Amino acid sequence: MAEVLQIRLSGSGGQGLILAGRILAAALVSAGRRVAQSQSYEPTSRGGLSRADLVVTDDLADYPLVTALDHLVILDKPAAHASDGLLHAGSTVLCDGRKVTSAVRGPFALHRLPLWETAVRVGSPRVANIVALAALTAIGGFVPVALLREKVVGLAPARYRDLNAEAFDAGLALAAGERAARV
Amino acid sequence: MTDGLRNLQGNAACALGAIAAGCRFYAGYPITPSSEIAEWMAAELPRVEGVFIQMEDEIASMAAVVGASLGGMKAMTATSGPGFSLKQENLGYAIMVEAPCVVVDVMRGGPSTGMPTRPSQGDLMQARWGTHGDHPIVVLAPHTVAEIYTETIRAFALAERLRLPVVLLYDETLGHLVETVATEPPPPEAVVERRWAEVPREAYRPYAAGEDLIPAMARPGDGYRAHTTGLTHDERGFPTQEPAQVAALLDRLLGKLDRHRPLIERVETVEAADADVLIVAVGITARAARAAVRELRRTGVKAGLFRPVTLWPFPEGRFRRQAESARAILVPEMNAGQLVLEIERLAPDGVRVRGLPRYDGEPVAPDAIVAAARELVG
Repeated sequence: MAEVLQIRLSGSGGQGLILAGRILAAALVSAGRRVAQSQSYEPTSRGGLSRADLVVTDDLADYPLVTALDHLVILDKPAAHASDGLLHAGSTVLCDGRKVTSAVRGPFALHRLPLWETAVRVGSPRVANIVALAALTAIGGFVPVALLREKVVGLAPARYRDLNAEAFDAGLALAAGERAARV
Repeated sequence: MTDGLRNLQGNAACALGAIAAGCRFYAGYPITPSSEIAEWMAAELPRVEGVFIQMEDEIASMAAVVGASLGGMKAMTATSGPGFSLKQENLGYAIMVEAPCVVVDVMRGGPSTGMPTRPSQGDLMQARWGTHGDHPIVVLAPHTVAEIYTETIRAFALAERLRLPVVLLYDETLGHLVETVATEPPPPEAVVERRWAEVPREAYRPYAAGEDLIPAMARPGDGYRAHTTGLTHDERGFPTQEPAQVAALLDRLLGKLDRHRPLIERVETVEAADADVLIVAVGITARAARAAVRELRRTGVKAGLFRPVTLWPFPEGRFRRQAESARAILVPEMNAGQLVLEIERLAPDGVRVRGLPRYDGEPVAPDAIVAAARELVG
């Protein structure tokens, strides 16, 4: 089996993480890959830990659930340490700089970005999921950014289409700044 | 998306498989984690002029499915452990009156209402022995979203061919898992239609069968006289307690499974031919076992997987042959040890059998299987 990628988008319930996972999964399939997507399925619609997991392969995944994360987004406090045991030296972690106060620590690459602030600036905290998705993809480079943007515009609710497109572009800009800062 | 591939949820694949198999009747009482099947059937059935009914409870749902089946429809219901318990009496009735139908059990943690949103494989034995009395039943246990689609189609084919309820059994993880699949229309031979009585009306005996042990059904409206009862009946369908006739009926009902074993059984093996440690697993646990076999082989342990896609009747012959050359057998499962009982019964003398049970609402991880397998043959 060729390269297997394991990705988790985590935060709290109601943040649109599962929609973001679905959008990412659609882009990956359009890019010729196969996806197994699972998610937290709990009675907490708001406030509790929420996550969308993707196992990305070229063929059917042996095991469709995540076991060691390559890419992790932490959008909110309830998710701050929920994935600690799944991180390793090769992991990339992207967390919200303000909401996630108890910082994850480890040998992995950690990016603390103003995801929520950026979402609020473009118009609504509701699009923090899309800001995060764009930043993660720009840093991770596992799917063409233009393809993902197309899916964001196509799969997000129609009345939020423009807002989501703006959020996506703002997320890309955040990631570009991040990479420059690391050079 | 490319090449007809799309991302589809396990429960959605079940509903689409049912429609593709010709299911045109669904009665159910939504229960987590199976509810999406009802949701999809409610959306899809009207498009193909089918009937969806949300019944007042689980028992009535099963009764409606049996009625629809006797009326000539391909019929299905879906539930989870607590609802599956409630359906058992009418499931037994369906077995006795030989009403083809499909019952889906998306397993969650139990006993009782247990953990509605957590996976489990606690119903492996309920699926086989849930209804009372000696009875035949077929239980299929898919392990991918794609296989949920194809095994749902096969469930309908077997139900129609054998005049028997078929249970499709998988856990919450697979029910809610989304995977990239192609849902091709089934080839014509994969879809089986009901065999209707064609003999002259006066010669029709509703429970008389030929070599294949499967009686032809009377299509409502064709003018045949048929009596249907859950009481032990003779070939005319009337109640009897005459020992010879009772034995003849049960011999035939139970004999269906043996007579049609090649049609019913389906097994997948992975690297099993030279395996020192043979892992027997179904459903999501078989996915973990696949990953474990790959990892074990990579590190020099000869591991293999034996996966009964048809869980019941258990593919005994295939298993015995496969197990002969193994040193040890490992049975991971998301319950306190159910499948392992069958494996202990069937394992050749001298082959160690070890269970790897887990029942805390979390799936068995590949790592746990790797560690247990190493310990067994290390």
